[in-house]
Amino acid sequence: MKAYAPGIYPRSEALVQATRDLDRGRTTPEAVEEQVERDFRELVSVQERAGLDLLSDGLLRWQDLFRPLAERSEGLDARPLTRFLDTNTFFRAVLAEGEPRLTDPIPAPKLPPRRWLATLPAPFALEHATGGEARAEALAANVLAPQIETYRAAGCARVVLVDPFLARGGDAGRSVQALAELPQDVPLALQLPFGDAGPVLGQLADAPVEAIGVDFYSTSLDDVPEGYPREIMAGVIDSRSSALEDPAEIGRFVQSLAERSPAGVSLSPNGDLQFVPEAIASEKIARLGRSRTELREVA
Amino acid sequence: MSDVKFLTREIGSLAKPSWRVKAFAGRPLEEGDIAEAERWGARLEVEGHERLVEGLRSGQFGEAELAEIDDWAAIYAIRLLEKVGLDVVYDGEQRRTEMYDHVAAFARGFEPRGTVRSFDNKYYAKAAVVEPPSVDGPQDVEEFEFVRAHTDRSVKVPLTGAYTMEDWSYDEHYSHEGALGGSKERRYEARRRFVSDVATNVILPNVEGLVAAGADWIQIDEPAATTKPDEVPLVVEGFNQATRGVEARKSMHICFSDYSALWPAVLELDDCLELQLEFANRDSRELGTEHDDRPGYADTLRLFKEHGYPNVGLGVLDIHSDFVEPAELVRDRILYAVETLGDPQRIQVNPDCGLRTRSWDVVYEKLSNMVEGTRLAEQVLNAVHAAPARARG
Repeated sequence: MKAYAPGIYPRSEALVQATRDLDRGRTTPEAVEEQVERDFRELVSVQERAGLDLLSDGLLRWQDLFRPLAERSEGLDARPLTRFLDTNTFFRAVLAEGEPRLTDPIPAPKLPPRRWLATLPAPFALEHATGGEARAEALAANVLAPQIETYRAAGCARVVLVDPFLARGGDAGRSVQALAELPQDVPLALQLPFGDAGPVLGQLADAPVEAIGVDFYSTSLDDVPEGYPREIMAGVIDSRSSALEDPAEIGRFVQSLAERSPAGVSLSPNGDLQFVPEAIASEKIARLGRSRTELREVA
Repeated sequence: MSDVKFLTREIGSLAKPSWRVKAFAGRPLEEGDIAEAERWGARLEVEGHERLVEGLRSGQFGEAELAEIDDWAAIYAIRLLEKVGLDVVYDGEQRRTEMYDHVAAFARGFEPRGTVRSFDNKYYAKAAVVEPPSVDGPQDVEEFEFVRAHTDRSVKVPLTGAYTMEDWSYDEHYSHEGALGGSKERRYEARRRFVSDVATNVILPNVEGLVAAGADWIQIDEPAATTKPDEVPLVVEGFNQATRGVEARKSMHICFSDYSALWPAVLELDDCLELQLEFANRDSRELGTEHDDRPGYADTLRLFKEHGYPNVGLGVLDIHSDFVEPAELVRDRILYAVETLGDPQRIQVNPDCGLRTRSWDVVYEKLSNMVEGTRLAEQVLNAVHAAPARARG
């Protein structure tokens, strides 16, 4: 059973202050970049101490899930401020024009080959961010696929495709079709953060991905179909709560989940950890690792 | 038919002047900060502002001096809102840290947990509820009394709503146990109890105290109102509980939300004068009063029209942009709203939200144009109404 923490990680208080200072003209971009590097090294250290199986770079330079790709693609641009789901956070919706195409892939993070995971928006989520102006299949083929190829060449072990909208009335059938446009030589996971995945899990059983990420703070255990044919990337750490999880409770829950015989279980937060302050996020990662360790010992 | 006259208002926050921020942070003031105090004092004709400037030059700020600086910041904000011509004012929330923290830091039951990003390089402080929230007495009466004593305009007091306090807090009390894999009903019930406790034990005492002190307009701010669409009934319950039995005008401000989720639940709001909403952020910047000219207004105004309740506080300024809306654009947004609703009595005018992310220079220009554009809209509407009368005469 593996454990890992994809998604956007919170900035440290020092980085928060540095970026505030940058906006007010009190510091330089270089100083902010140095602090980003310090945050990155600390995050890697936190994950290693927790014993996580795959390392994430925490997307510390990402302003939101869509912006880096929008800024590096022809035909995409980021502008209107839009609320992100049911959170007090916002993203810039993506304006699409013509046939969007990735022209300048995001560089791979400096992490050991085959020991790191990447996070990207799922094709259907990217379509949603454009307000339906660009089709998920085209975005998958022309924007996400070349980005995944870049990550594959740099030794990425898993790409977690995040779809915050699918569990909120999205079209699972179209999502599956769009996922088929992606390269399959890197293991893919489709994560449905902060939503009740119950209604779409059945349709996603045929998705061309290795794992489906389920938020178990929004989804009842009873809604996971018996004998589910995909690995469940179990969101057992609540990224939107400051309450610290009890590894023993996670252990009991995961054993119940495993009894429903999915094709495997891995452990993760239920979404970006950026929704809690950094000090809490690092403790949550520690508890994620401890939960995994205790489950292995039981096994 | 009497002449059309729209009320112009702000929503709440203005940026704090650098001299106030630095004085409270214990940072040294630079000549530019003092020059700003001087410039705005003169521009806004703030009586006695030379005393502030002199005090700032001294660079010594004990408790008494900081209290005076707080007062000056409030007076400057009031004067700015008066000077641009608003009919209804407050103090730009100069004394409040931020709408959430202002309440969480005052009420019992909340503990600070740290900083979370809102977007880009903007952040907010977040607390956790660790026990049922409560207060010993009203929070904002002194603030209100100061404003009341320093303006002859109408005053509207903005207060953070119970649902937003609930939604923006971590919950370490109501739903912590058994959250993993638990039922939706259980989560909803926990949130209902949290909202109810904040509304009844934190906000209502404040509202009652304010009204007893003479406040006649309470604005409940619920920017989180539709973040969980199936919980809009909790927003309504929170509003009703927080204003129960209170004799005053009551309204609600909501922004950056999916307004289609508000109805039909908001029909259950008790005696809510209006919903003050953000529209301009999602609208075109081109002039025009046709349906296709106003994409930011069309769908939501249709809901107001269809349901007939409550009235609308029309957001006509994008608060996230330095773009200064021309008066003619404000005019056209209002005229389109009147045409859509078919009743100018159901509309008043305001920015999308608080303007605290904009500089005072930008705010001054935006609000001035808002007032001018409102007067232009009134001229158009009154000319239309007057024309048949003249023809008959």
